[in-house]
Amino acid sequence: MAQTPDHGPADPHAAPTTVHDTHATTEAEHGSGGGLPQFEFQHWFGQIVYLVFLFALLYLLIAKVFAPRMRRIFDQRAETIETAIATARRVQAEADAQADAARAGVAQARAEALRTATEAKARVTEDLNRRQAAAEGEAAAKVAEAEAAIAKTREAAMAGVSQIAAETAQAVVEKLTGKAATKAELDAALKGAA
Amino acid sequence: MADPLHQFQIVKIVDLPDPTLPIVGTVDLAFTNSHLAMTIAFAVVVLFLTAVTSGAKVVPGRLQAVGETLFGMIDNMTDSIIGHDGRKYFPFVFAVFMFILGMNMLGMFLTFTATSQLAVTATFGLITFGLVVVIGIVKNGAGFLKLFWPTGAPLVMRPIVGLIEFFSFLLRPLTLTLRLFGNMMGGHIALKVFAGFVVSMGALAAGGGLGLLGLPGAALSLGMVTGLTALEFLVAFLQAFVFAVLTCIYLNDVVNLGHGH
Repeated sequence: MAQTPDHGPADPHAAPTTVHDTHATTEAEHGSGGGLPQFEFQHWFGQIVYLVFLFALLYLLIAKVFAPRMRRIFDQRAETIETAIATARRVQAEADAQADAARAGVAQARAEALRTATEAKARVTEDLNRRQAAAEGEAAAKVAEAEAAIAKTREAAMAGVSQIAAETAQAVVEKLTGKAATKAELDAALKGAA
Repeated sequence: MADPLHQFQIVKIVDLPDPTLPIVGTVDLAFTNSHLAMTIAFAVVVLFLTAVTSGAKVVPGRLQAVGETLFGMIDNMTDSIIGHDGRKYFPFVFAVFMFILGMNMLGMFLTFTATSQLAVTATFGLITFGLVVVIGIVKNGAGFLKLFWPTGAPLVMRPIVGLIEFFSFLLRPLTLTLRLFGNMMGGHIALKVFAGFVVSMGALAAGGGLGLLGLPGAALSLGMVTGLTALEFLVAFLQAFVFAVLTCIYLNDVVNLGHGH
């Protein structure tokens, strides 16, 4: 391969023993003569061996060092994203639960407030009714008492009136007739007037 | 005028003693400009991957993002082409891709392109082909030959189609080799030719007189060089990618042989 007699179509120095000291002339020939320098097979062996060596090295480095490092980062990234999403989901669920709880609390408080208000209203109404009834009873008693007092006074007054009328009538009769009227007469007269 | 092929000339930097080996005979060992380009490409790839993976963070920086993009691209490719076994072959495909990409890209900055050397591309082609054959035989044994037995074809046609399949299989390393070699060499020759036009027409114009007509030609050539340079960057990436894709496809053939692919 490397140092074979078929040296390249345009290479005049196609000798198997070409060594470095003749290369200056081969290069000069190529500069003017044409023909691809890539077909100078004496250079192949060194290039191939070296490339295989470098390639093997690069393959090992990638397989043992770079690819695992990269995979680790990829895995780490996927894990980070997964954890973040899970955390976000959990927090979201928590927030939802808290919102539900708050809503339930509000509803309960409202119901309680409503009940308390109703109770208070009922109590107040009852109290009011009771007091009203009491006040009415008291007032009725007072009215009755007053009416009784009035009746008594009137009776007393009425009794007084007949006596006064009798006395007045006696005085009038005495003045007019000069003599006092009898009691019986007065009574009869008063009865007729009354 | 510089020869556009001159850039492919192997130049010895350090000459080494020439040993005589059993089969290949006396070999002309030297550390050449090709070795230098390979070494630089190797060093750049290793340094790049070290920089990308050593301080790798969950939230990537710029360099790490570039490395992860390349890594993820090849990883997806091995996964989607070879299937769930693809991860096993990822290091090989990634090594091929990165090394060829490194050499191609460095060819855009250095005066020498390692992948424009037939010896280099042939080595890559043969390494890939050799791996495919070895995996095919290790995984399938004699069943490896089923690769050439087209069950979809009518019975009478099978030997003929099988023979064609066999030869096309044997041609795989050659096509791998020549595709990369031709693309890289052709691009660099075109660049050099147009760059040469810029100089020669510029020199013509510098002579004055009718030579001034060379100026538009020189300007046009300069534009071509600029455009071709951009194109060559694309080609440098694309050829590395194509090589990696074909490597995956060839590996898939033997890894999933007889799994109805």
